[in-house]
Amino acid sequence: MLKDITIGQYLPGNSLLHKLDPRTKILAVLLYMIALFVVNNFWGLGAMLILSIVVILISKIPLRFFFRGIKAIAFIVLLTVALQMFMTPGEALWQWGFLTITKEGIRQAIFMGTRLLLLVSLTSILTLTTTPISLTDGIENLLKPFQRFGMPAHELAMMMTIALRFIPTLVEETEKIMQAQAARGADFESGNLVERAKAMIPLLVPLFLNAFKRADELAMAMEARCYHGGENRTRLKALKYGVRDVVTGVLCLCMIAGAFFTRFI
Amino acid sequence: MSLEVKHVFYTYQEGSPTESHALQDICLTVNEGEFLGIVGHTGSGKSTLIQHLNGLLKPSRGDVLVDGLNINQKEAKGKLKELRMKVGIVFQYPEYQLFEETVEQDIAFGPRNLGLNDTEIRQRVQDAMALLKLDYASLRKQSPFDLSGGQKRKVAIAGVLAMQPKYLVLDEPTAGLDPKGREEFLEEIATLHRKGMTIVMVSHSMDDVARYAQRMVVLDHGQIRLQGTPREVFSNHAELEAIGVGVPTLTKLLLELKAKGLNVRTDLIELHEIKDEILRALSEREEMAKC
Repeated sequence: MLKDITIGQYLPGNSLLHKLDPRTKILAVLLYMIALFVVNNFWGLGAMLILSIVVILISKIPLRFFFRGIKAIAFIVLLTVALQMFMTPGEALWQWGFLTITKEGIRQAIFMGTRLLLLVSLTSILTLTTTPISLTDGIENLLKPFQRFGMPAHELAMMMTIALRFIPTLVEETEKIMQAQAARGADFESGNLVERAKAMIPLLVPLFLNAFKRADELAMAMEARCYHGGENRTRLKALKYGVRDVVTGVLCLCMIAGAFFTRFI
Repeated sequence: MSLEVKHVFYTYQEGSPTESHALQDICLTVNEGEFLGIVGHTGSGKSTLIQHLNGLLKPSRGDVLVDGLNINQKEAKGKLKELRMKVGIVFQYPEYQLFEETVEQDIAFGPRNLGLNDTEIRQRVQDAMALLKLDYASLRKQSPFDLSGGQKRKVAIAGVLAMQPKYLVLDEPTAGLDPKGREEFLEEIATLHRKGMTIVMVSHSMDDVARYAQRMVVLDHGQIRLQGTPREVFSNHAELEAIGVGVPTLTKLLLELKAKGLNVRTDLIELHEIKDEILRALSEREEMAKC
């Protein structure tokens, strides 16, 4: 069950999107989010939908990866859709007791639902086509200008890298401890909510203790190799913009302009 | 009564591109009262195999029988606790599973899960600690996290012993202990065995297996390659080297002496018999030189 965690999962590939500079991809996703909320009619929304499908096809990522990601947030999407549908005031179409569906509600529900789905799909495109390391490199690089105002860009990026690196390790360790406690007769699967929460203590205490210990050891190991962040550090793979990044940038600006344009149709 | 593993296959992540066959057609019987050693290099399937012995893992194919109870069958489902009580597993670095505030509470975790009453739990904790020569009176109120590495491990193992298992399975119990701790520890396991407990020990140390095990199996790529008494198994030097597990230090000594031209037998494992054999070979050579 723990193996299903796909946060920050990267799928090696060779598509155009895999080759783009991570900074370009991060900025593109940001602009995409803005465009997604700028459009306010079905023309705009339809255009964004087509654009998203094209991007997904370019990435050559098997579709089941998106479905898996969507399955994880299905509950949130359904809740949003339901809330929008029933809570928006306006012209009533259907009524049953205190539940009323309005024309505006349906429109809102379609908008919010589509927006959420597209948002999740495209952000997962970002993580699926970018290795965690280059992703954090990109974030660090983009945050650099803010360092002047005291933003610890390098440290933040380092923390993210370490956190991502240790997710699989912690998952593996959780499984080991669960087995060991199960061998002593612990039961993680039955009982009511309170009993289940209590059953987690033998799992969580060792897990946290080990995580702290590991953090200590890692800090010591980094110290021993004279690690100090930021200044004058060079990289094995220096980030460099190419022609395809410029083209992507221009296309993104067109997308934003287009999004504003659809408001006037 | 025994632990029986019959034609067991186990595949991790079946059907996905990353599937791996951890066990292939394993047949093994652990008889009551014996000391079985399991050796093999990293990734040979040792840990996967022992997790089958109390139903933590279910075989992809084949059967595992604990005293006649098949862990695959439906009837085993309600008896999982009973099964875990019968077969106690001590995993690698068991001290990482300690979690309670005091030593006593931690050891009592297993018995408490079995639903025993307080007096019985206390009795079991005391018995388990006595078996490992841990002092109940002075340690019971201490935090397990304040103990030394070796003592932590003993407390963790006491936690399994307190379930009073019939079969005790240990996965590399001496890993990370200092030489003195190792020695003590192995002696205590041998004592448990003498008291009638069935022991299954996974180990990387051929010396330990040669010294303590009555029977051993050698795993390689999920298959049993050799099986028998240590004396039988360790006489297959070439095959053991090929598998990559090697032979005990003393056997190695005999092999090297033989390679240097001394006429010794190489199928011995006990220290005293090896000493006698080397002395015999040396005096034989002297005789030859005199002639």
